[in-house]
Amino acid sequence: MSERAVRFTKEQIAAYAEASGDHNPIHLDDDFARTVGLPGLIAHGMLQMGLMGVVAAEAAGGPDNLTRLYCRFAGMVVPGDTVTFSAEPAGPGKLELRAVNQKGEAVLTKSSADFEA
Amino acid sequence: MSPSGEPRNAAGGVAGRTYPPVKFQIEAERAAEFARAIGGDPAAGVPPTFAAVYSLGVTAPQLFSDTLAAVDFARLLHAEQEFTWARHPRPGETVTSQARVASDISRRGMRFISFETETKDESGDPLCRSRALFVIRP
Repeated sequence: MSERAVRFTKEQIAAYAEASGDHNPIHLDDDFARTVGLPGLIAHGMLQMGLMGVVAAEAAGGPDNLTRLYCRFAGMVVPGDTVTFSAEPAGPGKLELRAVNQKGEAVLTKSSADFEA
Repeated sequence: MSPSGEPRNAAGGVAGRTYPPVKFQIEAERAAEFARAIGGDPAAGVPPTFAAVYSLGVTAPQLFSDTLAAVDFARLLHAEQEFTWARHPRPGETVTSQARVASDISRRGMRFISFETETKDESGDPLCRSRALFVIRP
């Protein structure tokens, strides 16, 4: 099993916004995020998927081996949260993916990957 | 058309809508910066989830700026994402992505848009397919 724990920060979320080009203010501006009913700024789902993809690639024997990656964004991730991403073999060429926060809540559910070694 | 064959929401429903292809050159430095942002190895080529940029990222703005689709961006949540790859692109490659709205359904005040993007290489061979599920909250 491959596993990595990541503590989310505003700086890291801002760096992902810059690198991905996704500048939606719900990821950058606490005040704006509150005006649309969020608790404050939240991490991009795609940042969670990026981190999950790195762990999945490690379990698959390298990034080029990944043929499919699926994530269902089930919970919000906010700065200060620590999320543990893990990838576990689930049959030939298949991985079961999990991401769980410090409270034990799943932030990604039913997530999976396929690979060809 | 929407699954019912008729408008399903106030915006009229835009299932079946197809957007013009978008070309994108995968610059090595941009892919490396993305790898650093996700805790990956910037020397390992194009990270698989850089598809968030070269496939989904270049086409989603077409949906978000489509006045007929009328997506309320501030209330938009990315609920699911799937990428499938025929192969992974290399730094320096130019790729072309074309997107369509696969379905657009409103139910109990929530709107669900399935947005699919096909990305091909310079020979026209498939590279990546992206399937995003967006939910627009009331």
